[in-house]
Amino acid sequence: MDIELGAQLIDSLQVGLILLDHEGRVVSWNGWMKRHSGLGLADVAGRRLAELFPEVSGSRLESSISDTLRFKLSSMLAPNLNPNLLPLYHRAADRQRDQRMYQLIYVTPLRHDHCACLIQIHDMTSALRRERRLRAQSTRLIESSYQDPLTGVGNRRRFDQDLAQRFRQAKDRQRSIALLMIDVDNFKAYNDHFGHQGGDACLIQVARTLRDGLRRDGDRVSRYGGEEFAILLADTDGPSACAIAERLRLTIEQLNLPHPAAPGIGRVSISVGIAAMVPSDEQFCHILVAQADLALYSAKDAGRNCCMWYDPATSGARALSKCNSDRGQGADKPFTSEPLRGALADTLA
Amino acid sequence: MSELSELHRDALSELFNLGVGRAAHSLSQMVRDEIELSAPFVDVIQAHEVSAVLIGSEFRELSMVTIDFEGPFVSKAILLFPERNALAILSNMLDPDLTPEEVSEFEQEAMCEIGNVILNACMSALADEFGIELYGSLPKHYFSDTDSLPIFVGGNAEQRLLLLQIQLTMRQQLIQGHLVFLMGVGSLLDLRNCLDAYLDRLGMR
Repeated sequence: MDIELGAQLIDSLQVGLILLDHEGRVVSWNGWMKRHSGLGLADVAGRRLAELFPEVSGSRLESSISDTLRFKLSSMLAPNLNPNLLPLYHRAADRQRDQRMYQLIYVTPLRHDHCACLIQIHDMTSALRRERRLRAQSTRLIESSYQDPLTGVGNRRRFDQDLAQRFRQAKDRQRSIALLMIDVDNFKAYNDHFGHQGGDACLIQVARTLRDGLRRDGDRVSRYGGEEFAILLADTDGPSACAIAERLRLTIEQLNLPHPAAPGIGRVSISVGIAAMVPSDEQFCHILVAQADLALYSAKDAGRNCCMWYDPATSGARALSKCNSDRGQGADKPFTSEPLRGALADTLA
Repeated sequence: MSELSELHRDALSELFNLGVGRAAHSLSQMVRDEIELSAPFVDVIQAHEVSAVLIGSEFRELSMVTIDFEGPFVSKAILLFPERNALAILSNMLDPDLTPEEVSEFEQEAMCEIGNVILNACMSALADEFGIELYGSLPKHYFSDTDSLPIFVGGNAEQRLLLLQIQLTMRQQLIQGHLVFLMGVGSLLDLRNCLDAYLDRLGMR
């Protein structure tokens, strides 16, 4: 092959080629390098890469070149571990934005009198951008698979995962975790009165109000099922959880959504069951759900539109005022629902 | 028969530790975090002993990187981690937001480079101290299990393995792997000659 053809071929390659002599000085610099660096052979010939690009000094590329020149070793530099090493640009416009090309670099020795080192540079920008887009897409898909399509809050899968994770964290750190189980009162009657679309609109509004009523990052409302919602509160003890529950109950009441079919206030309301614990080693997360459930059904039994908390001292539910006062001092008989206590005892066993 | 004396093995161990020390420096720079590496012992075994000696039966899935070196002696150098340990290293080195699945997608490329850094550092330490050149190929990555290490099979009974346990510490996590240098008896003798010359120069023999 004649030299002219060889030179044309090298300039036509869609890969950057740099040849270095035994002292590490540039001997050859192909068309691709010129296009993506803005420097021609005349600008770079006889100079070391570290002189041309100060960022090469002390970099892994410099030590790779030195290994090749001194010992004839080869190296590869992956774009994920050495992003944007050389000031090369995928497109000319990227230079203004200082968005460097993602580079996959190979450094290999040559057995030649004048040339000692070949550097090949591949442009991985498109591949990496595509990878990012796909990752962002898959993140979105994962997000949506954890979202309740009607209300936009977390779905049951989200809740189950959060529960397992946060309960474990609470156990590991020996911190309190609280759970609010929330039920929209007389929802069947609401649906019967307003139709399913009216019921959907009600659930959406309740879910959003609950979500907007949470003030801490990381606290999340999930739709547990039907007209039931669940809120896990990390680092929250019983009294704080009761305060949050009561605030949320009032907020829903103050929405003033008419509920002509409901006995009592004639507005949409919620009942809330509250449980909180510092999990011990032998406790499982289902216990927290069972306790909050017991409290929730006690709230329903007590006439709805109220909050009840699970009192571990009596294994029963108590009305909210007792949550903030001294435990066990309450004169009231604790509210217990016998069938539920049986179910809870089964869970605890 | 042991082709290397205790003195040879001590010298090799020292040189390799020099190498992995440099590798640790390079890796630390790459991840901008402290990484420690040490290679506590060197042993010479025969090819057929490898599965038993290497990892035992505890870990079956392996992630390995190989580089061929050619100079006064010829060797296939292999960095080998139980798959679980390889993923532990990568999840520390790559973007912390990646899921475990994504980390394993980057495994081939990233392990290639990590293996490249560690193996080159070991070989450059030898080349430097011996005053020789060792032509090294680009790294290749393989997945394998301990039963079918294809690289070790097909070699003849004359093959010897220079085996180093390697310990990598990052973010308070100790991760174990192995460095293996696969060489024929002839090359092992050539390596021994290089070691003798090196020890002579230091006046230790």
